[in-house]
Parts: sequence; C-alpha cells; structure tokens
Amino acid sequence: MIYIKKILGDKLQDYTMVLALVALAIIFNIISGGKMITSSNFQNLISGNAYVMVLALGMMMVIVIGQIDLSVGSVAGFSGMVMAIAVRDLGLTWWVGVLLSLVVGASIGAWQGLWVAKLGIPGFITTLGGMMIFRGGVIWISKSISVPAPRELKMFGAGHLPEWGPAFTGMNNSTLLLGIIAIAAFAFTQLHKHNRSQKAKELWPILVRIALVSVVIGYLTWIFGTGRPGTSFPVPGVILVVLVIIYHTITQRTTFGRHIYAVGGNKSAAALSGVNVQKTYFLTMLNMSFLAALAGIMFVGRSNAAGPSDGIGWELDAIASVFIGGAAVSGGVGTIIATMVGGLVMTVLNSGLMLMGVGADRTQVIKGLVLLAAVGIDVFNKKEGRQSIIGRLFPSKSK
Amino acid sequence: MKKLLTLLIMVSLITVMVAGCGKTPERVEPETTETETSETPEAPATAEAGFAADSVIGVALPWLGTQNWAEADEMFKSKLEAAGFEAIVQHADNKVPTQQQQIESMVQNGAKVIVVGPVDGSQLGGVLEEAAAAGIFIIGYDRLIENTTAIDGVVQFDSIKTGVLQGEALLAGLAAQKGEGPYNIELFGGGPADPNAPNFFKGAMTVLQPKIDDGTLVVVSGQLDFTQAATLDWDNAKAQARMDSLLSGFYSDKEIHGVLCPNDGIARAVITSSGQAGQETPITSGLDAENETVTWIWEGRQYSTIAKPTDTLVSKTIEIIKALQAGNGMPAPDETTDNGMKEVGIYALPPLVVTKENIKEAFANDPGRMELLK
Repeated sequence: MIYIKKILGDKLQDYTMVLALVALAIIFNIISGGKMITSSNFQNLISGNAYVMVLALGMMMVIVIGQIDLSVGSVAGFSGMVMAIAVRDLGLTWWVGVLLSLVVGASIGAWQGLWVAKLGIPGFITTLGGMMIFRGGVIWISKSISVPAPRELKMFGAGHLPEWGPAFTGMNNSTLLLGIIAIAAFAFTQLHKHNRSQKAKELWPILVRIALVSVVIGYLTWIFGTGRPGTSFPVPGVILVVLVIIYHTITQRTTFGRHIYAVGGNKSAAALSGVNVQKTYFLTMLNMSFLAALAGIMFVGRSNAAGPSDGIGWELDAIASVFIGGAAVSGGVGTIIATMVGGLVMTVLNSGLMLMGVGADRTQVIKGLVLLAAVGIDVFNKKEGRQSIIGRLFPSKSK
Repeated sequence: MKKLLTLLIMVSLITVMVAGCGKTPERVEPETTETETSETPEAPATAEAGFAADSVIGVALPWLGTQNWAEADEMFKSKLEAAGFEAIVQHADNKVPTQQQQIESMVQNGAKVIVVGPVDGSQLGGVLEEAAAAGIFIIGYDRLIENTTAIDGVVQFDSIKTGVLQGEALLAGLAAQKGEGPYNIELFGGGPADPNAPNFFKGAMTVLQPKIDDGTLVVVSGQLDFTQAATLDWDNAKAQARMDSLLSGFYSDKEIHGVLCPNDGIARAVITSSGQAGQETPITSGLDAENETVTWIWEGRQYSTIAKPTDTLVSKTIEIIKALQAGNGMPAPDETTDNGMKEVGIYALPPLVVTKENIKEAFANDPGRMELLK
C-alpha cells in the first residue's frame, strides 16, 4: 500500500472523485450492456458538456473568492444571441461576430465586477440582477424567436479534428497526435519536477506514475480516435483542454492565482498582507462572464441556432460541478482539475441514466442526491482528525 | 486486510479491462443506401434494405407538461411495443441541451428511427446531422424541425389550418352568444420557440384580420403582432398574467367578448383571469381538447377547442416507421414546406373543431373523454 501512495503522491483524498468517476463509468457500462464506454458516447459526452465545463472553470474561481455567479446562463444566452443577430442582420463575418460576443461578455463581466468590487454589493445580489437583466435582454433582442447561427460555428460546438496522414494507425491521426503530446508533456513535467526537487527522491515511483498515466491517456486516445471515420476528439474538448491548462497555470502558478485563494481564505488577512482585494474581485467576475460568452458560443455552434431560452439552469450545473469537485462553500478551497472531475461525474451520471432510459424527472432527483452525497462525504472527510475513506485504505506510516 | 484490498483492486482492474475490451469501439462504415437517402432528401423513399422488425425506435418528446405530450408518451410506448419494436421514449423537461443528449443516447442505443417532438425546432441541427450520418431516419413529430437537412419528414396536424379553424370558431361563437358586433377581443399566441405557434397565429389572422379591418372586431389593447401576443414556453401562468394586466389596463369600463387562445391551457388561464376581473366569460378558441377543457366545454365555460387526437398522430407516425422497417422508405408526403435548409415532406392530418354541439360525436371513439361528458 505504501508503494501505491508513493506512486500517486501524498494527497490521496484528491482521488476519491476520480475513483467514483471510474466506478460510475464501469457500472453504467455494465448496466447498459456496453453502451457507455464507446467512441461515439465519449465524443458525445465531451461535445455535449464542454460548455458547462467551461462555465465551471470560471465558477470555480468565483467560488474560491467566496462569491457566486448566478448570471452565467443568462450571459451565455445573451452573448450567443448577440453574435447570431449581429451575423444575420449586420452581415458580419462569423469570426467578427464571435469576437463581438466575447467583448460583450467581458463588458458584462466588467459591469458586474464593478458592482461587486467597487460598490461592495455581494456577488449573489449583483448576479441575481444580471440573471434577470440578461435573460430579459436575450428575449428582447431575439423577440423570443430562435436565430440561426453561422454554419462555421458548428466547428466549435460539435466539430471534429481533421483526418490526415497514414491510415495504418487505424484511428484519427489528429487525436493520436494529441494523445502523444499529452503523454510527452506529462512525462516532461514530472521528470522536470523531479530533477528540480531538492530532496533526493527515488525515481521509480515517478516512472511508474508516468507509465500509468500513459496507459490511461493511451486508452482514452484510442477510444476517442477510433470512432466513425471523420470523427475525433471533439473540437469543443480541445478548447476545454486548452482552457484547463491555462486556468490551472493561472490559479497554481501566478501571483493572481495566489491572490484568489488568499482573498477567499481570509479577506482581511489578505488585504493586510497587501493583496488588492478589489482588483481580485473585479478580474474574477470579469473572467467569469467572458467564459460565459465563450460557453454560449460553443452551445450555439452545437445547436445551429441561438434560442431565447439558451442558458436557463446552466449556472446550477456549473456550481454543482465545482462543489462536487470539492470546493468549499465558504471560499478559499478548490482546484481546476478537481472541478473538471466533478463536472465529469455529473456528465457520466447524466449520460448513463439517459442510456438506461431514465427520464429527465428521475435524473434530476438522482443528480440532486449525488450532489448532496458528494459534498457530504467531502465535509465528513475533511473534519479535523478524521481519516478519509481513502486514507483508511492506504494507511500512512508517517501519521 | 492488505491482501483483501489487493484482491479487490485486482478484481476491479479486471472488470475495467473486460468492460473496456468487451465493447471494442468499431469504425462503423455507414450503410451506403441510408447515406444516400439523407443526401438526396428531395426523393425520399428508396432505401431497399429496411431493418429488423424488433429494432430500437427512439422517441424524443419535449416534456410531459401538457396532456397531449403525456398521451403521446404513453401511446408511443404501448403501440411501438405492440408492433414488436423496442421503444425508448424520453422527455426533456423542456430543455434543449437535455433533448440533444437524449437523442445522442438514442443513437448510442442503436435506434433505427428517431421520432423527435422538438423543444425548439431550430436547435437540434448538429445532433440530428450526426444521427443522420449514422444512417438513422428522423421523423419530426407535431412540430417542424428547422434549419437542418437531417430530417426525413414531419407528421403533424396542419398548423395553418388549425389557426384558421380557431379564428372561425371564435367568430362563430361571438355571433352565436354575444349578440351584434362590434366585439372587443384580444389575441394570444403560443410559445415562439415552437414553429407551429406563429403558424396558428397566422392562420387565425387570415380569418380575423378582415373583420378587424372592417370594424366588426376591435382589439382594444392594439396588440396585434405575434411577438406582442406570444406566450413564452406556452406557459399558462404567463398568459394569465398578461390577461390580468390587459383587463386592468384596457377593460375597466369595457366588456371583453372574445379571446383568440392558441391552446386549452391558455384558454383556461384567460377564462380564469376574466372571471377574477368580474367579466362575463369571453368566447375562446382552444387546442388539444384536454380533459379539463372537455369538462369546461360540456359545462359551457369554454366555447370551443380543437381536437388533434394524439392517437391519430401516433398511429400515423408508427405507420411510417413500419414502412421504413419493411424497406419501403418514406411514404409520399401530403405537402412540403421549406425549413430554411430544404423542402421537408409534411404528413398533414386534419384537425377537428369541438364545441358543446358536436362534443359527443367528436369523442364517440374516446372512452376516456366520453367519461367526462356525463
């Protein structure tokens, strides 16, 4: 057992949700007679949920600073609709429409950030206002009729990477390339970290870790790459992965990232140690609405049209992902990667229940229970002096 | 303890492998005949192959919030199973993303035909194109599917005709019960995301507009546009709130004689609102012949509705599915309509106006509703 701990690193609690995720996927695969773990279903999972996960990225940061953003669904719907209408009525090229939409999203974020940061209005109130303003706005500008979106956008919402190169690989070569890059990048960062660390650690756990992760990525690459010809790891998934890398770096490696956690952990202490609390609030809220606009565009791409009810309830899905990912309601705790795992748990649950033919009504009930259970277990685990379930499985010599 | 754990982990690892390998993702070559069908939509009907008689048929309904959809849910389940198919019938709680994912899961489940009653007729393009690429037939149910080529035909009651009948029923009711004109009326439309709703309104206005122009009908509020009259998401509560404010704003010293209502729920909301405002019950149109409305018509509280028997619609849909199963392709449509991307074949069924005079004949074959007429 101690060996497993060496391979996986010290923070075994972080793997609770990953285990739950894998278990869910396997259970559903068995129940549904092998329909869960297939190329096309995995591709669907990603392209059908990437937009919620994009929202969850921003929401994680908002929750870490101790706020909440209820307006993301409305902002996503509004920005998507602005783009669709601008392209249709003003004759803009599609990418100008996309840029316009992102600018609109960022401006909305700046507006909300101003209320939260400068005027000190709680994010809950500010964004509750925003939720109404922009839901009304989208219905107003669209006259509550769906507007067709430019076809080029389909790439972002449901597109696949191109096929190229030799056929003997038996899979989509773009996906294969992505997989190889991912493995190489992981191996590189691990070895780099090892070389830089001061303490002389053993090398073998890292090599085993790299091998394990390579197998996992390799398996996923194979799953995503061997679907119907012309399909690959979906483009919205690529966008999501790029964003995850960017935001992981921002939150873990930059001053701004440290400020987010500092402000969320203890606002006064952070302010006294020279952190600009207002600026942190402002930028986090701005970033959230920017990501909401991006999510809106991705959804419009997938749907072929922007509709007046786009975005209803998305904020709740995003918030659920963040909390299942182990963020603390009081702020200061949460990571990008865990949030993504939380989002994937919801996604796999959704998909599995649908494959089993469970209706939308009971699916809601089950998702609600899972949310409660996940957060409950998390709180139970983290109570002082109590070992986590995972901790019991892997007793530590050092404790 | 450790050994036990190791064993457990081993077992679960093996399960992963088995589960993973058991379902080797295959590169499925789409069958050529079916691809051709989806690429040459103007000439439906020449897939020679058909498919197995016990195939999976997916039915994606928008929600179960009105009686017609709840009936469709029941009937599709029982009639598809009776016909020997394996039915997956799901409803999406009126959420577009949910419906998209449900359709994808039907593709996963190997459906040969997917029947779609869309939440929003223009927001399913991407998902349906994927399904069509997998060689699946897609039939629109009750609502047009717009803005995509991935649609093989739509079974519905003629929606313009429905509107015309609603308008005519309103005029007939006014003449019969409200004496000489001019009559004060208000207009209500359905949910704008449903492509039928503007058509109902348009149909009704072909009858009502000439009467408004010659002064027989007066729309006191002046709200004549569909966007002003529309009821978001067909939500009865929103219709009732709009009627409340119309009555308090425009009818404090006037009588309301009639209201164009696009469906029964909205008609009941309008009648309730009028009653609370101390008005006499206005003449209303309706749609769907919901149980509650059948009772109301029988008791004289609502003037008319239009029956679009779910039974007829479901039976027609299953008839088409059987033709596809036998390899006969899509039957020749009654008419076609432009959905923004292609001409879609429409299988149009005739709607039926129901008032207190003909209600017994109208539901003679419907024991459930006859029960209400005692």
